[in-house]
Amino acid sequence: MMVQKYTYTLNVIWSCMIRDIRSMLTDRAFTLVGILTPLNAFILMSLFVLAGTQAPTAVVMQDSGPYAQQFYQSLSATNGFKLQIVSASQATSLIQAGRIVAVITIPADFDQSIQHNAPVKVGVEINNLNTDFTNDIRRSVPNAITKFYANAFPDVVSIVPKEQDSYPQDTDYIKYLTVSILVVGMLFGGVMHAGTSMAREWETSTIKELLFSPASRWAIVVGKMLGAFVINIISAAIVLAILVFVIGVQPVHWGEVIAFSLLIILIFIAWGTFLGTLMKQRKQVVVFALGLSIPMFFLSGPFGPITFSAPLIQVIAQIFPVYYAIVLQQHAFHGFDLNTYGINLNVLIVSGYALLLIALAAFSLRRSAIAH
Amino acid sequence: MSGDFVRAVWIILKHDLRIWIQQPINMTATLVPALCFLLITAVGSSAVGHSPVALVTLDRSPMGEQMQQIFQDNGTFRITNATPEQAQALFKNLQVVAIITIPADFSQQVAAHQKTPIDVTINNLNTDFTNDIRAAVPDAITQFYGDQGSNSAMKVQIQEHDLRQRDVELFQYTLVPIVILLLTMSGVVNSGLATAREWESLTVKELLFAPIARGAIIVGKVLAGFVTTLVLGMVILVVGNLAGWIHLEGIYWLTAMLTVGLISLMGAGIGVAMGAILQRLQPVISLGLNIVLYLFFLSGGVGVLAFLADWLQAIGSFVPLSYGRHALEMAVFYNSTELLGRDVAVLGGCALVALALGFLAMRREVFA
Repeated sequence: MMVQKYTYTLNVIWSCMIRDIRSMLTDRAFTLVGILTPLNAFILMSLFVLAGTQAPTAVVMQDSGPYAQQFYQSLSATNGFKLQIVSASQATSLIQAGRIVAVITIPADFDQSIQHNAPVKVGVEINNLNTDFTNDIRRSVPNAITKFYANAFPDVVSIVPKEQDSYPQDTDYIKYLTVSILVVGMLFGGVMHAGTSMAREWETSTIKELLFSPASRWAIVVGKMLGAFVINIISAAIVLAILVFVIGVQPVHWGEVIAFSLLIILIFIAWGTFLGTLMKQRKQVVVFALGLSIPMFFLSGPFGPITFSAPLIQVIAQIFPVYYAIVLQQHAFHGFDLNTYGINLNVLIVSGYALLLIALAAFSLRRSAIAH
Repeated sequence: MSGDFVRAVWIILKHDLRIWIQQPINMTATLVPALCFLLITAVGSSAVGHSPVALVTLDRSPMGEQMQQIFQDNGTFRITNATPEQAQALFKNLQVVAIITIPADFSQQVAAHQKTPIDVTINNLNTDFTNDIRAAVPDAITQFYGDQGSNSAMKVQIQEHDLRQRDVELFQYTLVPIVILLLTMSGVVNSGLATAREWESLTVKELLFAPIARGAIIVGKVLAGFVTTLVLGMVILVVGNLAGWIHLEGIYWLTAMLTVGLISLMGAGIGVAMGAILQRLQPVISLGLNIVLYLFFLSGGVGVLAFLADWLQAIGSFVPLSYGRHALEMAVFYNSTELLGRDVAVLGGCALVALALGFLAMRREVFA
């Protein structure tokens, strides 16, 4: 009797899963959009990041003496600028056309003044249109001045920064951020697939058949989740391949990448299933998935440890599983510890969310059955 | 005949507007993504470039305190003054991105022209934070020397000249691309849904077999999307101006409104074409949102297209939103009509192409 019950439950799970996969494959256009959606999120967010790396700046070299050249090298070494040497008139037209952020003018008497230890003013004309870029320029030019003196007159300017880093090498911003973007791609794909799959049952009225069948609510929820899980693994694999082979992020812990990815997909699928049960309309789920993913991404510490953010954001971030998912993936890919909880506790928290969301989905389905 | 045409257009327009107002999902699909971006940029802008840093001042002489004050006044950091032990604890608990230590013999070493290292311990987990700190510490050192006046050993000084009287904050700057995003999303999604709904609810047959011109159906549908989008755009421009986020003056109100109108028309045209081709609400929302977001990011997103890599700029030059954004930025930030003719021509041309696509898609259905 017991064996028969388990076999029946497994049959229900299997049937729900296969039916959902078939249904998704029938609606090819939507499924293709769904599979590519995490990839879209990944590409779009990457474009967002690419927009803010280096400030394009024109340098007008009115003096070509050795100190002026050395100063230009110092500007170049700050990594804050994308430099181009142009004439004064070209620089004026470039800044007025909004194609550069600033014009740095090294004056004609630069070398002479430096040789005579006389004050010399480097002109910095800034298009102060966007404080992000403007402040980069305002910091980078003094940085270049310090570098210039450190190289040209190491004995004159004695105050120098002595840097000690936590990690042996820097991690490029793009490589760091794309890992966080992977998580938001999984969130969007998971919520959308699972949510629409569940909502479709209401839209097509097939939910009645499911609810009035003797199958357990748990088995239905698990079966539907597994269907969405399979589709999401395909999406995640595509994004992961791009991350590794195109962006060049080499995971430090491959095992963690795979295990955490599966766990994270599971949570977002459970989340989507719950939302689909609540909303009962696919278009609402799609809009919600998009509306949810973007703020979740920015609020969950994608740029660095959440403790570097404002206190309110820290509190909000720790309410949602996306934050813990980012912490886990950054550890898997780069070996970073982004909070002090330790990896095991982060895994436990994420697993707790998964169980909670699955339970909520099953519970809301049960309530629907009673309502019917 | 023309009276019938106008009457048909008016009825379709009224009907679609009523449905738009009555169905909250339409407003949500239109407003939520753009409002999310607005919220994000508002939150994100306040956090940009303000890394938490522990400052340990071991030299309590006037010179040491002067250096400490410079670090505190530097806009890059959120400084926590700490003892070495407190700083280490903060660093270990990821409460700060770096520890800056002004050494105990700072003033003596500076006075004696001896090498005076300021220790900077950085959690270099990504170059965004790390480079901010790396640039900000030399900035503080330069300022320290600058404060010495004519006695300063550092003779190179900065003479800054800003193009505009006041800095435009990041949040203000990002408002223009977000307006563009909102307009396009509203146009595409609303018109797309309004058109696809006719197929889903099977009312398209009544429309197509009614004794009215096909053109009237298209114009009515496009006008409904255009009106809602235009009104949204105008409200944002007015509210943004009243709140002081943007500054539109004189004739530039007109150029801004013209740009908003053309983007709305183009979005509505694309939406009608998509709705007629896809004929279902679900793919219209999914595909519409994706297409609009791609267009938005490829036109520079919340960054600056001219500052992106050359290959991205080349792609961006084929995205009509780049021209809408250029025209609006010229009006809002530069008080200029530079290249307005080009921008209007591109937007107008794209709007016409989108309308033609919508017309063809509907026409195909009549024959089908």
